[in-house]
Amino acid sequence: MIAVQRAKPFACTWLIEKEDRTPEVVLEANPTYWDHKRGPFVQKVVFRNSLSPADALTHCISGDGEVDIVTEVSPADAQRVMDSKFAHLEVHDANRVLVGVFNRHPNRDVPLDDKNLRTALNLAVDREKIIRDGMLGYASIIASLTPPWCAGHPKDLEPFTCDPAAAKAAFAHVKWPAGRALRIATGGGFAAIANMVAADIRTNLGIAVDVMVGEDAGALAGARSLAEGRLVPDWDLLLNFWFDISSEAAPAMIHREFFGSDGAFRVGPDLPEFNKLYTDMAGETDPAKFVKKAEAIDRFSKEEALGLFLCSPKTLTAVNNHVKFEPYATTFELAEAEVLDGHWSLK
Amino acid sequence: MSTIIEAAPAAETRRTPVGTLRVVDPSPLNWLFITWNTMEEPIRTDHDGRAVYSMATGHRYTHGGKTLEIDVRKDVLFQNGEPLTAHHIKRSFDEMQRWEAPHPPGTWLNFPPESVAEVPSDHQIRFHFPEPDGLALAKMRGFHVSSNSFWDEGPGFGYKREGSGNGNW
Repeated sequence: MIAVQRAKPFACTWLIEKEDRTPEVVLEANPTYWDHKRGPFVQKVVFRNSLSPADALTHCISGDGEVDIVTEVSPADAQRVMDSKFAHLEVHDANRVLVGVFNRHPNRDVPLDDKNLRTALNLAVDREKIIRDGMLGYASIIASLTPPWCAGHPKDLEPFTCDPAAAKAAFAHVKWPAGRALRIATGGGFAAIANMVAADIRTNLGIAVDVMVGEDAGALAGARSLAEGRLVPDWDLLLNFWFDISSEAAPAMIHREFFGSDGAFRVGPDLPEFNKLYTDMAGETDPAKFVKKAEAIDRFSKEEALGLFLCSPKTLTAVNNHVKFEPYATTFELAEAEVLDGHWSLK
Repeated sequence: MSTIIEAAPAAETRRTPVGTLRVVDPSPLNWLFITWNTMEEPIRTDHDGRAVYSMATGHRYTHGGKTLEIDVRKDVLFQNGEPLTAHHIKRSFDEMQRWEAPHPPGTWLNFPPESVAEVPSDHQIRFHFPEPDGLALAKMRGFHVSSNSFWDEGPGFGYKREGSGNGNW
């Protein structure tokens, strides 16, 4: 990993340069584990790191014994798993968000520091279509950045709906440079979603849109540049993916990263009102008040249209039919996993 | 942070683990998931991401939120047979505090450098912060508790290999 550090406020963003996995990692059950209602129920877990994801999925859905569980199944492969005689698909809400980062740097030719433009773009996009056609249904709509099942999600906060008339009305207040195309950047994994967003914006705002799909080889350099925050990117909107490690404090892990003073994905000047709300929440030790303050941050983010809020992708896992496994929203844990009668390892 | 769920009471009888699972996890967070499959923290999350007491069994804020007192679970053994005490949590805390940026998921998981831990009894620990810290319990999701042998004889989060604990918690 490499670290990008900022001095004030001190913040560090770790970026994965490369993975150096051993061919296998073997976990053995702790026979004295205190919570024996939870597990472990399996004696040994072998992470097979030498298999590619594609080969692993093929093994999992076409027989017993080679691969029991494959995580991070693409929606495009979901039907293959459901059609398998050997495996089934486990689907779970995940604390992940797919969001468009606005390049809010001032004095650019495209005024994304103008709330009207950010609002117009949010109103121009059909999230339901993106979830249905782009994610094949394996995502949840989000109003802002807090997934709806998490603490701190305001129950009354509605997602932006696709409203071409309202989008055009907001866009009418914007000084858009004639002939300038909106530039959307993304990694290869979300190219199809970026093209759907682009199509909606072309249709509903009547402007040209270019989609810039980055190569995987350039992803690290792009992430590093974003975290360093020294250069003004040439894109206007970056489709970005992020995650949370619990359902309890989304603004700490998610909102802060996108909009906070030490956030790696904040592209543009500090947001004093956001920072004030965040500091207020971070110092709150009363649980009920903490949740209210987390809700205020999510609401502020939506009301200011600080991001292009798209969806929360679900986690899809292929699981052998002789294995009992329930996914987690935040992690991949195997304490409760069980092998059932007929499993290859019991024969 | 909202209310923490009590861990379910232990089953009356322990089942003998059986069988082998072969797993492929292409996630770039696999290193983190391996950690959560092999270590425990004061707080973990359930399937829906809700906080559950793990090595903690209770907590309370005092001194206007500047002190967090945690009750430490009894009857927990590390794999090498060491019984867990608050001293293990303090040692893990002190080891973590040596580094500027121990947590790859972000420096928001850091406790302020001025924070200190004290152990009033074998199963209670107090953390003293310079300011009220409403995120302290959420941070404990990433606060891995280790046996003494992990630090004395083991890898110690890459101390020996990397010469640092930065980026390895």
